[in-house]
Amino acid sequence: MADNYSILRKPLILGNKTYSDVTHDVCAPFEKKSSIAWWITFFAALSMLIVGIVAVTYQIQTGIGTWGLNNTVGWAFDITNFVFWIGIGHAGTLISAILFLFNQKWRTSVNRSAEAMTIFAVICAGIFPIIHMGRPWLAFWVIPYPNLRGPLWVNFRSPLVWDMFAIGTYFTISLVFWYVGLIPDLATIRDRTKSKIKKFFFRFFSLGWNGSNRTWSRYETVYMLLAGLATPLVVSVHTIVSWDFATSVIPGWHTTIFPPYFVAGAVFSGFAMVLTLMLIVRTVFHFEEYITIKHIESMCKIIIATGGMVGLAYATEFFIALYSGNPYEKFAFINRALGPFAWAYWIMVFCNIVIPQFFWWKKIRTNMILVFILSIFINVGMWFERFVIITISLSRDYLPASWANYIPTSVEIATLIGSFGLFFTLFLLFARFLPMISIGEIKGVLNYGKNSHGGSK
Amino acid sequence: MSKNKNLKNDSEVKERANPQEEIVHLYDRRTFLKLAGFTFAGAMVAGCQQGNIEKAIPYLVKPEEITPGLAYWYTSVCNGCNANCGVLVKNRDGRPIKLEGNPAHPISKGGLCAVGQAMVLSLYDSKRLLNPVVQGKETDWQTFDASLKSKIEEVKRNNGSVRFLTSTVTSPTINASIHTFLSQFKDSKHIVYDPLSNSAILDSHKKSFGLRTLPKYYFDKAEVILSIDADFLATWISPVEFSNAYRSARKLNGEHSEFSYHVQFESRLSLTGSNADKRIAVSPNDYKNILLELTDELEKIAGVKNISNAFQPIIESNFKRKLINRLWKSKGRSLVVCGVNDIQLQILVNYLNSLLGNYGTTIDISAPSNQLKGSDEDLAELQNEVQTGKVAALFIYGLNPAYDIPDAKNFSGKLKELPLVVTFADRINETAEVSGFVCPEPHMLESWNDSEPSNGIVSIQQPAINPFGQVRPLIECLVSWSGKNQNAVDIIKETWRNSYFKLQTKEKDFQKFWDSALQNGYIEYSHAKKITSGFSKSSLNFIKNDSTLSESELKLVLYPKLAILDGKHAHNPWLQELPDPITKIVWDNYASVSHLAAEKLNLSEGDIVSIQTAKGSIELPVHIQPGQNEKTIAVALGYGRKGTDRFTNIGPNWLEARPTVEKGSLVGKNAFHLLEFENENVKFSGIDAKITKLRGKYLLASTQEHHSLQEPKNVDVLNGQARPIVQKLTLEEYLKAPHTQNLRKAEHPSLWPEEHKYTGYHWGMSIDLSACTGCSACVIACTAENNIPVVGKDEVYRNRELTWIRIDRYYDEETGELSISHQPMMCHHCDNAPCETVCPVLATVHSEEGLNQQVYNRCVGTRYCSNNCPYKVRRFNWFDYEQEDEMQKLVLNPDVTVRERGVMEKCSFCIQRIQEAKIKAKIDGTVLKDGNIKPACQQSCPAQAITFGDINDNESMISKQIKDSRYYRVLDELGVKPSVGYLKYVKNSSEEEKVNG
Repeated sequence: MADNYSILRKPLILGNKTYSDVTHDVCAPFEKKSSIAWWITFFAALSMLIVGIVAVTYQIQTGIGTWGLNNTVGWAFDITNFVFWIGIGHAGTLISAILFLFNQKWRTSVNRSAEAMTIFAVICAGIFPIIHMGRPWLAFWVIPYPNLRGPLWVNFRSPLVWDMFAIGTYFTISLVFWYVGLIPDLATIRDRTKSKIKKFFFRFFSLGWNGSNRTWSRYETVYMLLAGLATPLVVSVHTIVSWDFATSVIPGWHTTIFPPYFVAGAVFSGFAMVLTLMLIVRTVFHFEEYITIKHIESMCKIIIATGGMVGLAYATEFFIALYSGNPYEKFAFINRALGPFAWAYWIMVFCNIVIPQFFWWKKIRTNMILVFILSIFINVGMWFERFVIITISLSRDYLPASWANYIPTSVEIATLIGSFGLFFTLFLLFARFLPMISIGEIKGVLNYGKNSHGGSK
Repeated sequence: MSKNKNLKNDSEVKERANPQEEIVHLYDRRTFLKLAGFTFAGAMVAGCQQGNIEKAIPYLVKPEEITPGLAYWYTSVCNGCNANCGVLVKNRDGRPIKLEGNPAHPISKGGLCAVGQAMVLSLYDSKRLLNPVVQGKETDWQTFDASLKSKIEEVKRNNGSVRFLTSTVTSPTINASIHTFLSQFKDSKHIVYDPLSNSAILDSHKKSFGLRTLPKYYFDKAEVILSIDADFLATWISPVEFSNAYRSARKLNGEHSEFSYHVQFESRLSLTGSNADKRIAVSPNDYKNILLELTDELEKIAGVKNISNAFQPIIESNFKRKLINRLWKSKGRSLVVCGVNDIQLQILVNYLNSLLGNYGTTIDISAPSNQLKGSDEDLAELQNEVQTGKVAALFIYGLNPAYDIPDAKNFSGKLKELPLVVTFADRINETAEVSGFVCPEPHMLESWNDSEPSNGIVSIQQPAINPFGQVRPLIECLVSWSGKNQNAVDIIKETWRNSYFKLQTKEKDFQKFWDSALQNGYIEYSHAKKITSGFSKSSLNFIKNDSTLSESELKLVLYPKLAILDGKHAHNPWLQELPDPITKIVWDNYASVSHLAAEKLNLSEGDIVSIQTAKGSIELPVHIQPGQNEKTIAVALGYGRKGTDRFTNIGPNWLEARPTVEKGSLVGKNAFHLLEFENENVKFSGIDAKITKLRGKYLLASTQEHHSLQEPKNVDVLNGQARPIVQKLTLEEYLKAPHTQNLRKAEHPSLWPEEHKYTGYHWGMSIDLSACTGCSACVIACTAENNIPVVGKDEVYRNRELTWIRIDRYYDEETGELSISHQPMMCHHCDNAPCETVCPVLATVHSEEGLNQQVYNRCVGTRYCSNNCPYKVRRFNWFDYEQEDEMQKLVLNPDVTVRERGVMEKCSFCIQRIQEAKIKAKIDGTVLKDGNIKPACQQSCPAQAITFGDINDNESMISKQIKDSRYYRVLDELGVKPSVGYLKYVKNSSEEEKVNG
């Protein structure tokens, strides 16, 4: 076996797979009956989702007062969750678009799942700006559309309107990109399935794919174009999200470093989430030979890099606050570290600055259990980063008389749980019904790292 | 058509075997579609209506003076307390919806306190008693009168003693009626007692001057004010009147400034103390010592020696010398007041005032005040009589003796045994519960009355609505029990015809005289009696040497809280939810202790303690109060009123909501039972007490969590300066440079194009921090004007109160002394408003006149505007706030939208008033004059601290204030260009003394 591999390059796919092996392996999870493990996780996720649905229903019925917000802290869990989920999405786009443009062949094993993750994360994120409104049934008012109210337009100066555009664009492009990438695989399923319903369904969605040279060539052009379109979104979406805060006047929010800082943070958190998911997927669905140690290591390295950027941003922010001579700004930052929410700040620092440093060691990078645990820490840390920025800054701003504490209510916690429920439910359904690895693209890199003997048999 | 014919034959249709088939034939396809179309369209139109439209029946015969939609104003007089401020009642469509100070009234001069503002809500209290009650059963007046008359006859026959117990009655007609009523009995007496007794002031004047009278105090004429625990800006005698006068003696007018110097010795931190130039926290035990010490010094200067009581010097000598200097220099223009109900202290105060020659200048006993007449001695006597069973009939009016007198429990037990007890009450209160006969007392807005709060000023209270139920005023009751039947207004007119009408010569016709009095709301006549007697030195003999200055650890001080007073207003949710001006706590009373005491006793905020005195004990949560004397525990009176458990579920009801009142308990705890008699006076201050910590914690809800402009110690690692949010000057600093132009830093050049031109009006407001006392009248005025809901204790605890104007109170240490500042804070209507740019749906927009407007209908509730507001003055409707009492919806101002859940709201500068004034000016063809528009807060302010007007008008008050050297804007450096500015707080502090002294 070893003879088949090149001594110069390490292969991307192990196990000396043939083309048919690949198709067979990737299709296995959704062609077989679901495992008990899948059902258990699915019900767990669904239960979480139901908890969230109950909480949100109750909240919309009763009022935003069922959240722990107050006159001073107008946003807390809601927008923290929103930014967190949007950030999660970023890794998917980065993997599928930017790494594609940079010709990073290793991305093929993870891009499908990462893109799916992006879409689900954006769905989770998109819910929060709607339900955080006092009158969510009027949420469509943030969309500019011709109307009979004057006509009353939206406020194009409001970052929330920019957000609406940014998220809308992001979701659309991500969805289209993901779908276009799926087409060859959908055709594969169409050809393999025996179920009539499935056949009908996949025939419809594979858009008459016939695997000819011409279809492939068109496909690749479209894919390339979409990758080009999606690339600026990696930067723009989180930049715009950061403007929600950066354009305000609140100390701790009003910071010019926010756009790059948020983008780096988003990629950082996104990769952590990809790692979390991929490590599960690879074990549960036996994809160890597709999602290899090399993949995990590469992602760990990206985490070190982006984690470093985030750390630098924390330091810069803090330094500028002290250096600026603006007493309110200075206070806002010292208050983060020493004030009543200091615990949240130090969780953030520990998880986002200390934890990634472990990835410098190859031993840790290649120990899947450790990587899994560390990736969870980063997920937690990045949630707290947003909490620190949003809530701590609001809770103590200019006038000491209006400073206020914030304590989340059970409804808010249930809503956060529900958003995870939604995310995992969607992801599990995806795992059950669609190929988690891009069969077509894997086949393209199957020979990577093989020598002349090892080519297709 | 032919098919339709079938229909006509009914019998035929019925006989058909298959009616369905027939229906198919009845309509052809097109008719069916037409009908279906109409039906669906109709259903849709019907579905578009929101709920049922109830029929509104317009006036068939329109009342002559009412135009729907227009407000009418009636003069009247407030009876929220005995100060009797003149008010104007705003009436819309037949209901009073707002009270405002009558600017012409000589007592209140346009201001009205929080209690006065809230009185209108009490009118619509559905828990009020509306029918007479005999032996616990509601009945009608005929039955009531009949059975009462027979009882009265019985008392007459038996020559039983009749006692009429009232609180101070300022109404000459009521006094006369009581007098007439009592005259039919052989043994009868009218006893006056005030639950917040200041009897010692009157008693001391009886001793010192031979006149049992409450002097009239003129704070406006005083250059130096020395106050011993008199909370004259909040609760003492006539706070609105005194606030106004106090403020007018503290005018900052450049070189012509006249600024009084105010020293306050007190044990707890009172609102008045928080405004003092020098405030010294002392134990209630030390008051006498301090007065003796000052008297001694002044006697030395005056060269007399009438007092030889021993004292221990405790005032810091440097300060004492300066104070004495000041007092002596301002002879005849100084004022010593004392709020302690202790005759020895009061005699000393009288002596000090007479030494300083203040009688006849700042204190007047020739035309005295009637605001308090109660006598503790008389009450004690009555209690004795009741105890021994001597009293056959007791009438109780304006007082709740089963609750608010010392030994109330005992008294109320005895009441049940008396043959006849008649109570006049607005609800079944503690006393009414044990009285055989209860007369439903009308609210001030539904009955006629009059009042003479101080001799020479008489006002008429006129009703502004038809009485609810069968309420009947006292004077009508008394007349009817004497066998006559007369309306209150006729009785009052009769009194006036026989007295005040004759005192004047201007008006020959009584009706004209009456009408003009009614129109003005008051009359004035000159009254001054000649006072022949001077200060009688023999009264000084009453001052005893305290054998042992009891060094008992802790002293209890029972005090009235600004909004609740003696508990009369405990059923008013506006007042319950008004943050205490000092502690900012709502819906509770508590035991205030100092930091030192808390440390010593190992107490922290919210710990439950038991306070024991000789009279009993009370369990209360602890509040740690800066500025309080360490040997003092302060507890507010007026809580724990019967029936306040009605507020248990006030506020939104949701998963994690905590009740405003714990099940089975009341709002706060009653502390009246801790009162005791000492030297014939009721002792409020300095009661020996012990304190024990109990288990458990209690949540106290406060509208403010952080209390200092300094950063918290654990965060302030760089030793930052206090935030320049409240800016202060000493008088010396101000006088040095009163005319230097505004020191405000020039504005930064802006990259932002000038967006708003303000070619017409540009509204602005300024608040004189030096004038503002923090009395919170504006808060209730705003609540009433702008339909602000009551949210309940839990919501306040969660920092979700909805008041549009709040008063930020800061405690800061300045050169080792606690300095307290009050800063009213409302929407600043910024020209570069940060809220406006961030709203995604343009629900908050800028008007051409500089108003930052909130469009409720458009608001989707993102709260982004509130987050981005540096002043945090926006308020969000977290829930739909239902009224605890549905009837209180009647108080809503129809000019202001009631906001639904999920929308943001905030101060609008009372835009409805601006519009009203503009429309009126337009109709009249005139121009708006400066001062024509007064937002509710400005209107109610007793100290006239708030100025509102057009910044574009160079002559307007606001423009002048903007040019004032004291003018500054909070957070000016942010560049949001607020339209609200402040005039710096000026303190007549010690630096200035160095120059003078």
